[in-house]
Parts: sequence; C-alpha cells; structure tokens
Amino acid sequence: MAVDEGPRNYEHPAYDYLEQMPGLSLAMTTVDKVLEWSATNSLWIFPMATSCCAIEFITAAASRVDIDQIGSVVRPTPRHCDVMIVAGTITVKMAPRVKKLWEQMPEPKWCIAMGSCAISGDFYRDIYSVVPGIDTVVPVDVYIPGCPPNPDQVLLGLQRLQDKIRSQRDGVSTEPETRPETAKMILPANKRVGDPDRDPLLTDAQHDASRNLGVGTNTDRAKDARPIGAITEDEAANVRGTVDDK
Amino acid sequence: MSIYEQLRERFDLPEEPPEGEPVVIPVDQHVAFATALKEAGFTLYVTVCAAHFPSVQPKAKKGEEPPPMTTEAWEVATVLRSVGTGSETFAWRVRVERPVVPTLYSLFAGADWQEREQYDLVGVVFENHPDMRRLMMPEDWDGHPLRKDYAIDTRVAPWR
Amino acid sequence: MRTFPARVDPHFDIEEYDPEADLMALNMGPQHPSTHGVFRIKLFLDGETIVKAVGYPGYLHRGVEKLCEKLTYVQITPIFDKHDYVAPMTNEQAVNMAFEKLLGLEVPMRARVLRTILAELQRIASHLLWLGTFTLDIGGTIGGGASLMMYTFREREMILDLFEMLTGCRFHYNTHSPGGNRHDIPEGWETAVKAVLDAIEPRLDEYDALCDNDIFLVRTKDIGVLPPDLALELGQTGPVLRGSGIDHDLRRDAPYHAYDLVNVKVAVDDGCDCLARYRVRVAEMRESLRLVRELLTMIPGGPIIGSKPIKSLVQFKAAKGQVYVGIETPRGELGTYLIGGGDQRGAAPYRLKIRPPSLHAVAAVEYLLPGHMLSDVVTVLGSLDPIMGEVDR
Repeated sequence: MAVDEGPRNYEHPAYDYLEQMPGLSLAMTTVDKVLEWSATNSLWIFPMATSCCAIEFITAAASRVDIDQIGSVVRPTPRHCDVMIVAGTITVKMAPRVKKLWEQMPEPKWCIAMGSCAISGDFYRDIYSVVPGIDTVVPVDVYIPGCPPNPDQVLLGLQRLQDKIRSQRDGVSTEPETRPETAKMILPANKRVGDPDRDPLLTDAQHDASRNLGVGTNTDRAKDARPIGAITEDEAANVRGTVDDK
Repeated sequence: MSIYEQLRERFDLPEEPPEGEPVVIPVDQHVAFATALKEAGFTLYVTVCAAHFPSVQPKAKKGEEPPPMTTEAWEVATVLRSVGTGSETFAWRVRVERPVVPTLYSLFAGADWQEREQYDLVGVVFENHPDMRRLMMPEDWDGHPLRKDYAIDTRVAPWR
Repeated sequence: MRTFPARVDPHFDIEEYDPEADLMALNMGPQHPSTHGVFRIKLFLDGETIVKAVGYPGYLHRGVEKLCEKLTYVQITPIFDKHDYVAPMTNEQAVNMAFEKLLGLEVPMRARVLRTILAELQRIASHLLWLGTFTLDIGGTIGGGASLMMYTFREREMILDLFEMLTGCRFHYNTHSPGGNRHDIPEGWETAVKAVLDAIEPRLDEYDALCDNDIFLVRTKDIGVLPPDLALELGQTGPVLRGSGIDHDLRRDAPYHAYDLVNVKVAVDDGCDCLARYRVRVAEMRESLRLVRELLTMIPGGPIIGSKPIKSLVQFKAAKGQVYVGIETPRGELGTYLIGGGDQRGAAPYRLKIRPPSLHAVAAVEYLLPGHMLSDVVTVLGSLDPIMGEVDR
C-alpha cells in the first residue's frame, strides 16, 4: 500500500498499523491489521429501537454526542449493518421478529443490549408479555446498563465493543460468561411486593419513607424522614392493630 | 338542568348521583344511554374500562355464619366528554354476570380498538362488534391477562 | 361549509374489491424507521394507491396495567415515566392527579405552579422531538431531513438539562408524588429557565420557515384529511383534534394545576390535514414559551408536598370508589380510570386503566390512509405523533 511520507501524516492512527519501509514511499502491513482497523472504525448500527432507550439512542446519534465521530452510522436495514443495538423492552410478540432481523444481518455481527429492559426485563421482568432479557433470544456482546443509559454511555458502550473486536482479532478469547438460569437466581431476602408472604409492615414502612422524602426547602419533613424499614415499636403495634381491626 | 337530571327523566336512575363512583345502569339500556348522551353534547369518546370481579368468600363476623360466596361479575365503565369551554366528563357503568356487553361501535367509531383491547385483556365480549380480534397480545395467546384469576408473576413462559 | 369525502369503512372485505385490479399486500413494520417505534400496518395496494389499511399495535405491550395492581400508589409513579417516554412529566402528573382525587389529597400552591411549568416545558421538548422526527420521516436521512432533527435535538437537550437540574435525572424523573412534588426548585433554576426560553424563541421562527418550503407543502397539504366529526368519534384529542378545527383544550376548558391563573390561548387550525397539525404544534410551542415566562413570575412560597402527613392505612381505607381524571399532555388527553381498593389493605389500585391519546390517534390510520399513495403513509403516521410505549402500554 502506497502512502504519502509527509511527516505530519504519521500522527494519523492508521499509521499505527503500517510498517514503514525506509527510503521508499511504500508501507507494508498485514491484512489482519487493515481488517481490524476498518472493522472497529466503521461499526454501522442497526437500531432495534422499541421504547424509551430509542429516544436516548437517537439523542446519541444527534447533535450533542454524535456517535458519527467513531465512524458509526445508523442504518435502518439489517443488511447494511454490523451492530444491532437492542434499545428497549422486547415483548413476546416482538421477540421472533428480533431473531429474524438478527439472522438477516451479515457476518461478522455484534449485538449490544442497551438499558435494563433489554438486559433483564427490568420491572416488567415477570409480566406475562415481556421477555426477561434479550440475551435469551440473541447472543449479546456488550451490555450498557441504565434506565435509560445516557447518550454518552452509548458512545462508551460502542468503544467497549471496539476493544472487544480488537482483542478477538488478537486471538484473546472473549467468550461470554454463561448467564445463570432464572430458576437458580438468588431470591432477595425481602419478599417482593405482591408476594403473599411479604410482611405488610415492610410495604407500609417503604410507603411512609417515600412519602417523607424531605427534599429542598421542605426541611420540616426532612427531619422526620426515616430510612425504609425504620419503624418504631409503638408504631408497629399501632399499625398491626389497624390491620386486625379491619 | 344538569345532564344527570335530564337523563333521569328518561332512564331509571337513583335520585342523586352516587358519590365517588359512576352510576350503574342496566345492560339493556347501555346503547340508548350512550345515544342520549351523544345527543346531549357529549360527543368526544374518551375511554372504556372493563374490570373483572371474581367470586370470593367474604369474611365472616365473629360468631356468625359465613356469608355466601359473591357471584363472578364484570363491570364495563364508559366515559364520554363534552367539547369546548366548560368541558366535563360523564361516566357510567354496566355490571354483568356474563361477560357480554353491547358494542358502541355504531355510535363512536373509536370504540373499535378500545373494545378490542378490553376483550383482549379482560375477556369481555362486545356484542355486534364488526371485528372482535385480539389487539395487544399475539392472536394465539391463551387467556385474558387482566382477569383477576390470571397470575401477576408468570414464571412459566415459553422462553424460560 | 366544507365538504369531506365519504367516510372509509375500515372493515370492508378486500375480497369484494374490483377483481380485475392488481392488488398487492404490503407489510410495513413492526421494525420500520418511520413507524416511531414498533407499529405494524398491513397495506393493500392497487398500483401505488392504498385500498385498505389494517393496523396491528401491541408489539410493545408490557402489561403495565397488571403491574400496577401489585404496587402501592407511591410506587406506581416511576412506572408511568416509561409510558409516553417523550413526555414523562405529564404522565406522572396524570396518574398522581387520579390518586389525589381518589385519596382526597390537597396539593400545595407551590407544587401546582411548579407542575404547570414542568408540563409546559415538557410540551416544548416533546413537540421539538416531534418536529425533528417528522421532518426526518418526510425528508429521509439522506434527503436532508436529518438536518432539522439535529437542530431540534439541540434545543431539546437544553430543556432536559433544566429537568436534570431540578430532579437529577435527564429522562425518567420520578419527581411527582400523590400530594405534591419531591424536588423543590434549586437556586438559580428560574434564571436558567429564562435563558433557555430566550435561546429557543428566535429559533422557532427559523423552523417556521419550513412552511414556505414547496416540497414540505406538497407533502403535507390535503394529506390525511380527518373530518371534525370523525375526529370526535374516534376520540382524538390534543393537536390532532385541534388540527381538525375543534376548539378544545383541557388546559382552558377544564383547568387543573395552576392553569386557572393564566390565560391559555388555544391554537386551532381548520385545515384538517397534516399541515394543520404541524401548524397547531408550532403555535403551541410559542404559547408554552409565553406561559412559562408568565408562570415563573408567580411561584409562591411554602411547601411543595402536602403538609398533612399521610397516615397510609387510614387514607387507604377511604380509597374506595372509581374516578376518572384526564389532563392535557403534548399528545392530548391522557386519562386514568382508577378503581380503588386493590390488595387486602386497599393500598393498591384494584384496576387502573390508562386512556392513551396515542392509541386513539393511531386508530385513525385505518380511516386516513385509503386513497393516498404509499409514500404518504409516513407523513400521516408522523403527523399523528404516536408514541408506541403509550399505545401498547
């Protein structure tokens, strides 16, 4: 590959991949390095945009963050793209479509799960119509946490993907860790709301604590604010009494 | 004369509107009631809400026989709104023991999707509706999720 | 008196259509960049003219109404942020007003004025996003539509920064609560709001220059004509209803928050087409700017959350009954039909039905699309401004 030997041009990162031949206006490199350089710096994105995260993803593509700066272009068709960003909740009705679109993308391809709904289903996790995490449908390479993640974190996630592609090309194994089965997940010590075994006092205390969030100038109420679960003996007896009366 | 008084002349309604909840009317007057309201200026179709009330055993008082089980019922509430300055809503309910209620599609075209949604989620069938298919769930879905006998946490699902 | 073409029957049998015609069924969505999310339309085309359109929502149905049945009233607010993710502030207000009505809670004046300011700022942000994506739909990314989107997102970011100053979050705020707000106005916030308003106002004129663009006019004028009587029957509200020439705005007609303190001028346009809906939204942005300026001068002192501490169990015992509350969000009337007395202690809703303006709006496509060309689908759908999170819930 012939390049111009002007000294200023060496600052360009492309030259990291080129080996200079002294005295000649010629440089040699390996095909691998060129492929790696071009793959990492032209990640075209296919947005699987369903809900809230889609708006933050558009913001990431818009003026302030501008993911174009790392060579990422948003294309709405799977056949042009390298990366699928799943932004938003995936439902039972949508999941087969996501799978089909993923299969339409040409190799090599990567998938980013953006936001907690795509990662795990978030608080819709146990709802009848929601898939608890997109990694039950397609393999995910990078997770961007947040609800929704800030646009600059989308940029960061793409840079992590670039790192991953580089290390893959260098021969470093980047096999994803296997996800624990849902049944094997450790259940929280406190029962969730709606569970018949949950202590009603806990819900009440949580409720009161959130009511007493004294913020700003509302100092009177800030003094009374208590952490969740901090309920005095007297109050507990009182609350119990009310429940029993009913 | 308020709208409630106007309606009381034509329909069998209680003397005063019930406090804190919409008035209940018999199901066979449902369409006539909506027609009367539409003629009285409530032309904006707002919403329809169906709710399921399962058969439950009320708690017995101390030393008394437990009361009989309540019968399973469905309630369909409809809300209409008048347009322009001083806009107000009017809501009414019908309570049925079989989940079949006449449709308002012939009066309000917007009832089409709204009633399909309520059929999908609660399982109330709207009689004479032109196209009573599911709206939100896939068409091969089993059951009506917003019924009270449908579990909130569905741990058994095809992908788990 | 303007005459409209005869109403389309969306349920007509396609088999009965002219057997000579070369019909084609085309599926659009659920993954389509111009459906604003995951909406699917099945189109029957005769040549390039649409004969019949069938909408299929539900690809984002997250079962929120079921989820609300297991949460207490205070826990529901953050869930509601995620419905209409372009206007979370007004969503929180809609559901919390229903809870306040059911539980009989008074909101202090300071919180009411603050809520009004937040709702109006949110309206500007939401309409800016709509304007950006609408021109993106019409122009396409390559065709130059993306340039206006870049500008509108710049202004929207300014408003999100204001919300971040107030609540600490730029997107899902969780700042409303039954009985008041959680976050009081920080120091210097009013000055920042004024600066943002001053920056946005002249730029709106630049966007309005779109109306002089021939291409824009050809793509929107007389496209997607929605007659006023059909708009009412379909339950259209907000800019879609006002774009059909009906003078109806809950901010003026049934005032809530602090809207009775200000004089809201309602923007109405009787064009009934996509251009009319565009004009109404741009006029609403200007009106919102004026309202925020006016309201900033009248923020009273005092607490922002109800002074009477809520005795949760006592309150909830009274929380029986059924209420309906609707407010004017950027997309129209967002209502909550609430049946109280849910769990064994009455601390959760028994049934909570959300009345989404977007579901009513997208239901209109079956009436609006037949007779138009295929390329008008994105224009019509974009002008209705549906947010799929709200359509499917």
